[in-house]
Amino acid sequence: MLLLSALSHSGAGPWLGTWPEWTTQLAQGVFVLGVFLYYRYQRSPLHGQAFIRLLRRLLTGPGLLALACMGLHLLERLMKDQPVFDSNGLFFTSIYTLNLGLFVVFLARTNYAWRALVLFRSSPRLQREWTVFEVLLGATLLFRLVGVNPPNYVGIPLVVLLGLYGIYLSGHQKWVAYLSQREKWRAVLLQSGLLFSVLVFVQYFRVTQVDPQLIAPQPQHAFLLLTAFFSAFYALMGLLVTFFNLPIADVIEQRRSEILRLQRLTQIIQRGQTTAEVYHILLESAVQTVKADAAWLDLDPGHSGVTAAAATQYFNLEPEQADALRARLQGHDLPEGEFITNDLHARIGFEGTTQHYRSLLQLPLRGLHFNYGMLYLLKVEPNTFDREDLSILQTFTSQAVLSIENLELVRTSLENQRTQEELKIASQVQDSLIPKNLPTDNWFDISSHSLAAKEVGGDFYDFLHLPGRRLAVIIGDVSGKGVTAAFHMAQMKGIFHSLMQENPLAKNERDKFPVPSRFMAQANAALTHCLEKSSFITSSLYIIDYEQGGFVFARAGHCHTLYYHALREEVFYFESQGLGLGIIRNESYEKHIKNQFYDYSPGDVMVIYTDGIVEARGGDGTAEYGEDRLKLRLEESYYQEADEIKDFILKDLNAFTHGHPIHDDQTLLVIKFKSAQPPPLA
Amino acid sequence: MKVTAQPSADTLTLLLDGELDASSAIVLDTELAKPDILNYRKVLVDCAKLSYISSAGLGVFISHLQRFQDANVKLVFFNMQEKVFNVFEILGLDALMTIVPSAAEAEAA
Repeated sequence: MLLLSALSHSGAGPWLGTWPEWTTQLAQGVFVLGVFLYYRYQRSPLHGQAFIRLLRRLLTGPGLLALACMGLHLLERLMKDQPVFDSNGLFFTSIYTLNLGLFVVFLARTNYAWRALVLFRSSPRLQREWTVFEVLLGATLLFRLVGVNPPNYVGIPLVVLLGLYGIYLSGHQKWVAYLSQREKWRAVLLQSGLLFSVLVFVQYFRVTQVDPQLIAPQPQHAFLLLTAFFSAFYALMGLLVTFFNLPIADVIEQRRSEILRLQRLTQIIQRGQTTAEVYHILLESAVQTVKADAAWLDLDPGHSGVTAAAATQYFNLEPEQADALRARLQGHDLPEGEFITNDLHARIGFEGTTQHYRSLLQLPLRGLHFNYGMLYLLKVEPNTFDREDLSILQTFTSQAVLSIENLELVRTSLENQRTQEELKIASQVQDSLIPKNLPTDNWFDISSHSLAAKEVGGDFYDFLHLPGRRLAVIIGDVSGKGVTAAFHMAQMKGIFHSLMQENPLAKNERDKFPVPSRFMAQANAALTHCLEKSSFITSSLYIIDYEQGGFVFARAGHCHTLYYHALREEVFYFESQGLGLGIIRNESYEKHIKNQFYDYSPGDVMVIYTDGIVEARGGDGTAEYGEDRLKLRLEESYYQEADEIKDFILKDLNAFTHGHPIHDDQTLLVIKFKSAQPPPLA
Repeated sequence: MKVTAQPSADTLTLLLDGELDASSAIVLDTELAKPDILNYRKVLVDCAKLSYISSAGLGVFISHLQRFQDANVKLVFFNMQEKVFNVFEILGLDALMTIVPSAAEAEAA
């Protein structure tokens, strides 16, 4: 309004007197500045990636102003001949000023819409460049305001330079890439419309500028020229970029859809769908991506995790057709598996046949260790598959294989978890087989230790009180480790308890229970039928008679017994012969096992153990703990209580094996004979 | 663990190299389980490079022992390291199997 009045007054309305020219200039300047600043600080017209919406609004908003401008111009032309308005340029100037105002609004809106597009996903550097552009434009406005009018030879190059800067900024058309093909067409139309609007304005001002009726002063020439130029040029550039992008739009769109399909495949992994679904989606995506006419997927029922019935999936193809093709392809596969046949008529094995489908692409589903199957895609036309298709499909198949392998991993990990639970139970059961309450009496002192290398182990020991102040002690080691060994260990415990039963037919008291060698022979016979061929058991059985102060034992291939003789103050290993159980599975075993009798004295110490102790690895990983080192430890600790001796040995063993995993079950029993007098028999 | 078989007229010599444990026992078992091994009069096992034998390793020899005896094939061990011999001895196998110090004695056995 300010501008309008100021302009009107400046020349056309004599009834207002003559205002100096600078008022008009100032009013114009302030108006332009005001409008531009207003739009500058508006919210960015670009919401997300709604480029088309932005363009449409630009055209329906400021674009229509051009229509208004045209309308006013026509009105003015119509009125021109009317005498009322002919006399002075008042009406003409009013229209002109109004149009100028509309043009300024149009330019401001357009400029800041372009700003949003130029700065779309831009670098900070580009943002700084844009600010410089704005400041320079503002400066041109200022020049005119303060009345500095540089001579043409300075002004024109400056304006040209700024124009070039605008062209440089117009190069930033990144947003075009985000349009779909349809949107690109619409963008082309909208930008043409905008360009047309700019041309309407420019044409109007070009015509009116030379009109003799125009009394108003020149508008902010350089500024408007530059912004108009930038607006038009950016629209033109956008138009051209979009237009030349049109032919490749479908390629870009295809890539986008490939990415989407790949995403879908990836999401299926995360959702933990079934393998059958993964294969189905693979086939579907493959067909859609390369636009195949038919396809089938052969899966290997052994590996692919599908049933034999679901091992083949067809797309737009009869199983008989696939069978026929398969039969001809048989035996002509290339070693690497993936292969494009551009014309089936020419392929080996197809000579002289007429095929409905001429192009064939075959691709294996390659896993880490084996192929999951083979994918076949068919097209009617020859020469329709290329390396590009193959590489895209390879991405698909590897993604699918990854999903399958992931599903497999999830399945096995669940299974493992279940097995772990079972093993935990087995471990608890086995633990209950190991005696917790050691026999106690004032004649001896026993301490025990056992540790399995895995959840369950093959070592065992047990005690049994026999009538007549006797104690049976058994120790054993089943060859091998883990569950198999644990089963045999439980068996051996059962054999021990069933054989150590009182024989009511025995003639004398001492024969009521088997002597150790007899026990071993019977155990060997019992094991013949329940021990697998390559397994054996080593065992030692001691029957301690503490009324007589002696013991008898038999060693069936088990580790030598370590003994401290208190009277002689000597530590030694019992040297005795004896064959392990389950090695000879007939009557002749009895010849290989002997009893050994020994009288003990108070203070004697017996150390019984399994090979997990003496064969424990330490040092560089090959050194074994050994019998000698064990013997030395007993020499140093024989005077202590059984518990202390055991702890002393274990401490040394742990120091030796430090940092090495235990690779065999370990059992250690320490029995110390004591000098206490037996209580009088009741 | 490496098992090398050296056949001659009526003798098969098996060279064991490395540690004979649960995993390598399978290799040896495959070798000993071959049916035509029973056509030899003698099977000599050279233990010079056998540095360790586990119970699974012993199990392989034990499981074939009866089969060899039934077919009248002599199984002879020689060049055994002391540590390995100890393992045979503790189990009582020295009384059951022929273990000799040298190749010459093995040939003669």
